[in-house]
Amino acid sequence: MIEATPIVEMRNIKKNFGGVRALCGVDLVLKRNEVLGLVGDNAAGKSTLMKILSGAYIPDGGEIFIEGKKTHIASPSDARRIGIEMVYQDLALADNLDVAANVFLGREAASKKLGPISVMDKHYMEQETKRLLDRLKIDISSVRSIVERLSGGQRQAIAIVRATAFNNKVTIMDEPTAALSVAAIRKVIDLINELKAQGNSIIIISHRLEDIYEVSDRMIVLRQGRKVRECPVIGKLDEFREQVVAYIIGARDDFAERGVD
Amino acid sequence: MGTRRSGILFIKEAKEMLLNNIREFGMYIVLFVIIIIFTITTKGAFISSRNISNLLNQGGYIAVLAVGMTLVIIIRHIDLSVGYLSGFLGAVAAIAMVSWHLPVYIAIPLVLLFGAIAGLAPGFLVAKMGIPAFVATLAGWLGYRGALQLATMRTGTIIIPNAAFNAISNGYIPDIPGISILPGVHKLTLILGVLVILLFIINSIKDRRKTQSYNFKVLPVEMFILKLVFVSVVVGCIAWVLSGYRGLSWTAVIILGVILIYNFIMTQTFLGRHIYAVGGNPEAAELSGISVKKITYVVFSSMGMLAGLSGIMFASRLQSATTTAGQLFELDAIAAAFVGGASATGGVGKVTGSIIGAFVMMSLTNGMNLMGIDISYQYIVRAAVLAGAVIFDVATRNRKK
Repeated sequence: MIEATPIVEMRNIKKNFGGVRALCGVDLVLKRNEVLGLVGDNAAGKSTLMKILSGAYIPDGGEIFIEGKKTHIASPSDARRIGIEMVYQDLALADNLDVAANVFLGREAASKKLGPISVMDKHYMEQETKRLLDRLKIDISSVRSIVERLSGGQRQAIAIVRATAFNNKVTIMDEPTAALSVAAIRKVIDLINELKAQGNSIIIISHRLEDIYEVSDRMIVLRQGRKVRECPVIGKLDEFREQVVAYIIGARDDFAERGVD
Repeated sequence: MGTRRSGILFIKEAKEMLLNNIREFGMYIVLFVIIIIFTITTKGAFISSRNISNLLNQGGYIAVLAVGMTLVIIIRHIDLSVGYLSGFLGAVAAIAMVSWHLPVYIAIPLVLLFGAIAGLAPGFLVAKMGIPAFVATLAGWLGYRGALQLATMRTGTIIIPNAAFNAISNGYIPDIPGISILPGVHKLTLILGVLVILLFIINSIKDRRKTQSYNFKVLPVEMFILKLVFVSVVVGCIAWVLSGYRGLSWTAVIILGVILIYNFIMTQTFLGRHIYAVGGNPEAAELSGISVKKITYVVFSSMGMLAGLSGIMFASRLQSATTTAGQLFELDAIAAAFVGGASATGGVGKVTGSIIGAFVMMSLTNGMNLMGIDISYQYIVRAAVLAGAVIFDVATRNRKK
């Protein structure tokens, strides 16, 4: 089989904030239908790298290729148009609206247009939301439930459904299991596995190495704005964890420039 | 086993429905209780056709402001300027007709347009400059107060001689002539009432069928019929009471129009959905591609336009523009919005709720006036109702968590 073009390729990405070098030349490749884990200590640059991919930050240097095509991503709406969706850590749901409204937020379906006023096709949106929830085996009693009253796990599920609902190419999840109960984490992990089974390409940032271990095909460790490790996720969890921690804290480094340091 | 499960499910659903709608139900109950109490204490004078008709005409200008204010509160802001803006725009309407000799059908749209433009100013300060709405609109409050005094400085109170204009808040829709049955009853009002009931029933059944065809949950048949009967009786009662005096007033027609348009926008359109989203979580709305700035402009502009409408209604009521028109309207409108279920934390509030809230506050004033209660006690009672509404809001919010 020929090696397919990666769905995302980021080359030599650089980003400074004032004098602080947040990213100093990071490469990242995401293949089609792959789950890529992105780990690292606080301020390692994971979120910055993903915010560049999702259009929230503009990189100071480097190139981004989407399906082999060089692409400039200047804003979140740019990224979204290309098919890059981000599930934010703080969920970004409107708590006062119901499930269907949140899934379709900013992308409402119109039944008709009266000049500048677009009338919503609520039935379509509700039906479609129900279909999406069923497809991913998410257990929410009604698409008309107000999001505020749902559990943390259900809310995370909605945020993920929202990101993956519109035939996107890449889904970035920033700490999808943070601040969730053990049972809810289980459900989110199942959901990510289900998404992968259905052909999605996902990048997941997490502090919880056991989650990365469970869902990822491959992982990248960042430290102080550099990639220090890139490897497939294999072996036993304990060994995996021990090895990854060594990279996270800087005890090991696969990409150290020889002669320097 | 199966029936027991569905029984439990039913109770759960009924509970959720109650929880979902407790704010609204609470408000209707409050209004209902107030009506009953005043009807008893005034020996029926409160519920008389003439009084209810007057109450609508007296409170219309607050009701339309309350609708606009609810939208502002939904997006987590406040507008203190609308009282004097309303007074000022009423004076502009008067000047347009009296001094500029504009016909009424031009003066009214012109004033509404002025209002919409005036609303862009606080919109700009809040959305673009990031100034808290409280401060930005307080400046408006001062400014429009000055503007109103300037506008009426030369002449004092401006008498409006235009009969059509004055009919807005004093006139009633004409009746069908030549019908001899039911003397003393406004037939057209009754017919309209019946039409509204029929339309409501047909629409509800249609909607139910559609929902069912999508395999979605619908209300159990008994509850559905109960709802239809309840609404029909309420609408029927209102139509009957109003038809006993002079029928539907033009003010009532305007209020109904505002309710229909705003309720449609808020519940059925992208714009309404986006307004709620901005109120619920501005960051999420922005990330979803909704322009928070644009929504802020639209909401404040609509508030300004409704202030214009309110000013027209008040000037029409008094058949003149006065130097103190609009005084404290904004506070009445804010109180009505909160009593009507809007939440100070944003994202929550309904058009229908704000109208109910306005009528709760108006009924209190009207009823206590009829009872001859001293104005100082009236303020305290209204304060208690407002505080109660906000406490209710906070209490029902916390329970959800």
